[in-house]
This record gives sequence, C-alpha cells and structure tokens, in this order.
Amino acid sequence: MSELYFNRPMPHGGRLVERVLTNKKAAKKIVDFCEKVGAVYEIKPTLHYKRGVPVRNVYREIMSICYGFFSPVEGSMTSKELELVLSKRRLLSGWVFPYPLLFDISKEDYESLKAKGIGEGDRLLLKLKGKPFAILDIEEIYEIDPAELADRTFGTPEQNPEVVREKFDDKHPGWVIYRSHQPIILAGKYTIINEPVFKEPFNRFWLPPRKCRELLDEKGWRTAIAHQTRNVPHVGHEMLMKNAAYTGDVEPCHGILVNAIIGVKRRGDYPDEAILEAHEAVHKYGYIKPERHVVSFCLWDMRYGNPLESLLHGIIRQNMGCTHHMFGRDHAAVGEYYDKFATQILWLKGIPSYGFDKPPTEVEGGLQIRPQNMREFWYCPVCKEMAYSENCGHTKEKQKLSGSLIRGLVAEGVQPPAIIMRPEVFKTVVKWWKTLGYPFVNERYVERKEKELEVDVPDLD
Amino acid sequence: MEYILEVFLDDYRLSKIKGTPVEDKIEAVFGGELKVLRVKIGEELKDAILKAFETARIDSRSCITDTPVAFKRALFEEIANQKTLDESVVKAVLDRIDEIKEMAAKEAEYLPPPEID
Ligand SMILES: [Zn+2]
Repeated sequence: MSELYFNRPMPHGGRLVERVLTNKKAAKKIVDFCEKVGAVYEIKPTLHYKRGVPVRNVYREIMSICYGFFSPVEGSMTSKELELVLSKRRLLSGWVFPYPLLFDISKEDYESLKAKGIGEGDRLLLKLKGKPFAILDIEEIYEIDPAELADRTFGTPEQNPEVVREKFDDKHPGWVIYRSHQPIILAGKYTIINEPVFKEPFNRFWLPPRKCRELLDEKGWRTAIAHQTRNVPHVGHEMLMKNAAYTGDVEPCHGILVNAIIGVKRRGDYPDEAILEAHEAVHKYGYIKPERHVVSFCLWDMRYGNPLESLLHGIIRQNMGCTHHMFGRDHAAVGEYYDKFATQILWLKGIPSYGFDKPPTEVEGGLQIRPQNMREFWYCPVCKEMAYSENCGHTKEKQKLSGSLIRGLVAEGVQPPAIIMRPEVFKTVVKWWKTLGYPFVNERYVERKEKELEVDVPDLD
Repeated sequence: MEYILEVFLDDYRLSKIKGTPVEDKIEAVFGGELKVLRVKIGEELKDAILKAFETARIDSRSCITDTPVAFKRALFEEIANQKTLDESVVKAVLDRIDEIKEMAAKEAEYLPPPEID
C-alpha cells in the first residue's frame, strides 16, 4: 500500500534556505561595524514611476527569501542569474524560478555609498523603519534598464504567443513594479540580523516553511493541498478548496493550507486583515474542520503574472511542505493580458517560450508539487447546489458567482445570502469595515499600510 | 449586445415597489435567497456608464459591476418612481450624473457599515 502514498516533497532546490541570525550579540557586532564605516542603507518603498504611490517594498522579498519561502534563492540576483531568469526562468544552479528578485537603489544613493568606499565585496546594513533589519553582502553592482526589465519579465504577444494576449503596460501592476525599479542593482545574499515582529492579526498566521513543515508533521498530514488567495472567501472558493482536496493519494488530502499573498494592495481589494480573518472564520465556524484547514501568508507584492505567478506559488507552497496545489482559471491574473487558462496550460503542457517545453513538474530543476487544475463552481437552481462547471449540465440555468457581484452587495450593505457568503465571513468583513471606515482598500489604506507595514522592528539591544 | 444592471433588493426596497408592475419582474437567484431587478441596456448606455465611472466593469455574466453605490441607489429611486425596468430609468439617472458623481467621490473615503453585531 505504502508505495501508493505521496511523500512530502523536498524543498525546491533540495534544502530550505534559512538566513536569520538569532544571536543578538553577533548581530550587534555587525551593526557596530557597518555603522562605523558608513555601510548603512535605509530601505525605501518602490514608488510608481509616474504616479509616485508605493507599489512595492523590498523588505517583503528579503523576508520571504531569508525565511525560505523562495528557496533556493538566497539574495538579490547577479547580472548572470538575472539574464538566465529572464531568458529561461532558471537560476544559475539550474532550478526553476520565474521572477527577477533584485535589490535596487537610485544612482544618487549609489554615489553616496561609493563616496564612503562601499562597493563589491562589502557588507551593507539594511535598516527598516530606522532600525537594523538585515545585511546584504555585495557580490556585484550593475545597472539595469527598468523598462526593458519590465518587458522581459512578462514577455510579449509576439515572443510568448502561447499565452500572452496583450502587450503589458502601465495598467498592469506587476509590470509597473519592475518598471519602477531603480537602475542600480546590488546583488548578493541577504541575512536578517534582527527579526521583525508581526502585528495583529498577522502574527497569528505567520508560518515560515520550516515551522509549517513541523506543523504538518504534528497534524499528521501526509498530503496537503495549497490554496492561493488574495480574497475574502465566498462559498465558490470554499467549494473549490473542499472539492480540490478530494484529490490526494489513497484518500483525500489530509489538509488544506490556505496561503494568502500579503503585500501592496490595489483599490477595491479587501484589506489584508479581513482576508486572513475571513479565511480563519471558515474553520472557526466549522465549514471545514480546523483539523484539516490552516491559514497562513507569505509576504510578496504580487506581480499578477498568471502562469509565472503560479510557478512562484508552486515554489512557495512546495517549500512549505504541500504535496498538491490548486489552480483555477485566471490564476493571479488582472485584465486580459493572458489567456484565461494560461496557468493550466503551463501545468498541463508547458509553455516553451517561457522555458518550459514540458510541465514544470517534468523539466530538469523543476517542481515536485502536484497541480490540481480546477474549473469553476456556480450555483445551479436545478441541481440545487453549488455545482462544478464540468459536472452540471444546466448551463442555461447556472448562476455564476463573481467577486464583483459580492463586492456590489457588500458596498450597498446588503448581506449576501449564506449560499454565496457565509454569515461569519461577512461579519469579519464588517468588523474590519468598522475598524478601517471602509470595506475595501482605498488610497488611504494603501498609504497607511505602506508606511506602517505588517511588522514592527524591535530595538537590537 | 445586451448588458445588465442588477439592483439588489433588501426589505426596504421591496416595500417601495410593492403593488407596482415592477414587483412581477423581481427575480430570485441563489436558491431564492437573493432578490434582484435586472435592467437591460444596449451599447450606448453601457458606454455612457463606463465613461462616467472609472471603476465600472463588465463581468463574465455581461453585468455592469463596480459602479458607485450612489449610482445604484439613484437607479433604484428611478425604478420606484417610473415603475418600470425600461432603459428610460438609466437615462434619468444619467441626467443626474453630476449629483451622483459628487456623492460617489465621498464614497471613496467612507461607506457606512451595516448594523450587524
Ligand atoms: Zn445543474
């Protein structure tokens, strides 16, 4: 029997990256040294290249790298590695990775570091909110063209005809993130030397890969299926989770790991606090037993790269120990840039122009996590249930659930029927609505959040 | 092509159209739990709405969504006034566009939460 069991996959790249120094005395010594030679840089938010609003904060990448979510990546990429990621979606070590991860600074900041004699081979102290946070051991310094970086990161309809439908532009938030990068790249490994402390309610959901793998052991989950979210769950999402979890090995998956992507928000999204607590409400009120359902998050300013984003999602959740990952239509998508099923095309057939002549689980240096490609759920008044689109034949009678339908109800203060949103989930939305004065993300929320971030950085002494 | 504007009905709105010809047009969706009126419009009015409100979009059901709450409220008022679901109700709303835009601007800052515990 046991040969039919699925084993927990190894971390991507074979070893979980953990670059967090917990020895305070050692950390203090590093800080003292860097401060003495002036090798200090205060992390700044990346601002929209036209509008000046925050679109990214590199601190989120440093956290996700150093705690192992992005294993085997250990730092800001060198020029050689960047080239390989852009052309083949591979790291220098040969492992698959979809996106450039770069520590970018302005020319002025570079000049002032240079004036202090800081260059390749030196160690730079990175401060966050004025406090020591991490170090970057500079291996290489080089210049990029942000416009070219943005275009090459996502591709074009000509170069990626399998899935790209429209040219990327400044309406695409991921393209804007790369377009807004500063031109000087400091490449090298990061190490966190002073662990930030998550605020409420984020602290309850912080589950880095090593801890997550321990939790899966504790819970006895041999198989676990990951659910990607950046949304408050409606019953369609709940059905997707429950039904996708029926896959497994010789029995349904032992557990569902909800992993929210937390980062810069777009207007009209739900606030992060509401998203996390609303998913928690799903198990707190028994819609899925808490024994089988865990809510967590990963810090990342979403690039909305649909198939590319799904690769990153696969990497994150394989590192967290999941055996399966569910993918729906329009996965991590915005607008009409990609084919609706681009993610599923990648995981079922591969996308040669992105470096995948086979699915990412079959290429060399690929992933081990198993995709569970799902279509959608709708309400069927004939079946009298939330039906799976590939089962229910009542296509004329079907009633589709859309996120915007529910947003419309919420905005007008009309409680959605329990069949489309659980009352406890709605209550959570209202709770944060009352706290923040608004049910969705607006400019004020983005501004406040990017100033205060999800963490506080403690004093080192 | 035909586009749809959905107006959801709570008890207050239901009472406002009770006994009018509109009452017969109420549709019940999601197992009867949600009552809705559907105003069907053509390209021209659809374009006018999308032009008036930058957040507005068309979803996979051909419904125009993400319009300001003030727009939906005005649309219901016109339905209750004119006692019809004809395009004329949308035209009447678009005649009040300045007033609605002003209210919509305030909505970007504040929306009153519903009174539930
Ligand atoms: Zn059916």
